[in-house]
Amino acid sequence: MKTTVTILALLFAATGFAAAPAVPACCAVEEKPGAPLSARSIYQLDTPWTNDTGAAVRLAALRGRPVVLALFFAQCEYACPILVRDMQRLRAALPADQRERVQFVLVSFDTARDTPAALKVYRERMVLDAGWTLLRGETTAVQELAMLLGVKFKQDARGQFSHSNLFTILNREGEVVHQQLGLQSDGSDSVTALGRLMP
Amino acid sequence: MHAARHGPVADGVLSPREGTRARGVSRGVGALRLKRGALAALAVFVFASPRVQAESDLPRDAVLVPAGSYAPLIREKDEPERVAVPAFWLDVRPVTNAEFLAFVRANPAWRRSTVSPLFADRGYLGDWAEDLELGPRAPAAAPVVRVSWFAARAFARAQGKRLPTTAEWERAAAAGFSSAVGASEPGFAAQVLAWFTRPTVLPLPHAGAGRPNFFGVRDLFGLVWEWVDDFNTAMVTGESRADTGLERSLFCGAGAAGVRNPSDYAAFMRAGYRSSLRANYAVPNLGFRCAQSP
Repeated sequence: MKTTVTILALLFAATGFAAAPAVPACCAVEEKPGAPLSARSIYQLDTPWTNDTGAAVRLAALRGRPVVLALFFAQCEYACPILVRDMQRLRAALPADQRERVQFVLVSFDTARDTPAALKVYRERMVLDAGWTLLRGETTAVQELAMLLGVKFKQDARGQFSHSNLFTILNREGEVVHQQLGLQSDGSDSVTALGRLMP
Repeated sequence: MHAARHGPVADGVLSPREGTRARGVSRGVGALRLKRGALAALAVFVFASPRVQAESDLPRDAVLVPAGSYAPLIREKDEPERVAVPAFWLDVRPVTNAEFLAFVRANPAWRRSTVSPLFADRGYLGDWAEDLELGPRAPAAAPVVRVSWFAARAFARAQGKRLPTTAEWERAAAAGFSSAVGASEPGFAAQVLAWFTRPTVLPLPHAGAGRPNFFGVRDLFGLVWEWVDDFNTAMVTGESRADTGLERSLFCGAGAAGVRNPSDYAAFMRAGYRSSLRANYAVPNLGFRCAQSP
């Protein structure tokens, strides 16, 4: 029985933030879930997204923990793999006690090809654990999120996307606190920005 | 030959003052502020006249721009020179202050005092006297400006419409006054460029007073700049010195982009302008018009 519960709990944890993230008692989130979002919270975008397990999620479900978020697309041959590697390096550079508290989120531009199944394949290919959330949404939702983050993107005739290479650090409320622009910078500013968000 | 239809009749009547915080004219340069003061006095007179009320009651017509093509300014490698643009409805003129006021009244989240700074910056509706009062600097029949992309989009959605895409806007704007190809009309390009040299007259003149182009669309030039739905597809950075080539490390795929026609100066201006925008910007001479798919 106990094992079943544990397995269930693990399953929930594995589906990403659909389940409440396990937060140590020391760091329990102070705000009530129903508290109104701050005026600068990007979680005001109340559009539905789907993760790589096919579950429907809202961005507001990320509330309560620091987030590192980037827009990408799975079939990108040029910069996205480097961008994701940069995020992986950032994660590795975090002190161990901080690493598990930060959620890494990848949102796809490619509304046509990046189905939940395609995102799942991408997760396996890039070896992304439960600390990573992979999302797809409708064109309007992606466009609005890109606008809020200042990400420019354009699909070309071959279906590839030209896009800004940046990732964004959000605080617990979903407010933008830092953006790392460009590829392969050393990432120390991002480590500092995340450190400031820790209790 | 042009089909036309009528949009919802604008609510051109001003409401009594509703208490909200007033805003100063602190943005903008000093000279402009002085000029505005003088113009404001004139505007009070113009605004008070019944003629303006009557004009703002005009229906907002749209015309069907037939299917055609558009030559993007910046083209990716392997992309065709011209991109097909299906037929679409385009408003004859930009959205006016009176029309936007009706929207804001019905949608309190888009009032100046309540809107989130993420969706509209501090300049939002900055020419209006109050949350729900236009005032002398925002004549009812003048195009609404200082609206963000988010706000323009919300307005369009509330009308069952949308913002035109870059391709649609440029397709409509490529028409001359007497033919579908403005570039072939003597003096057309010069007229378009002449606008860039004229300082903006404040308060802005009425929307819809401009000469209709071949498709029956007015004020694409000469009045205000306009939002397009996909303005963020212009892949240049805000740093002018970095724009000689597109920055490879900032834009994925940027190395493939090349410019179509360096002599199309007006198209360059628009592309540059769009690339400098962010979706929450509320800019003094930037308005919008709506489009719709047939």
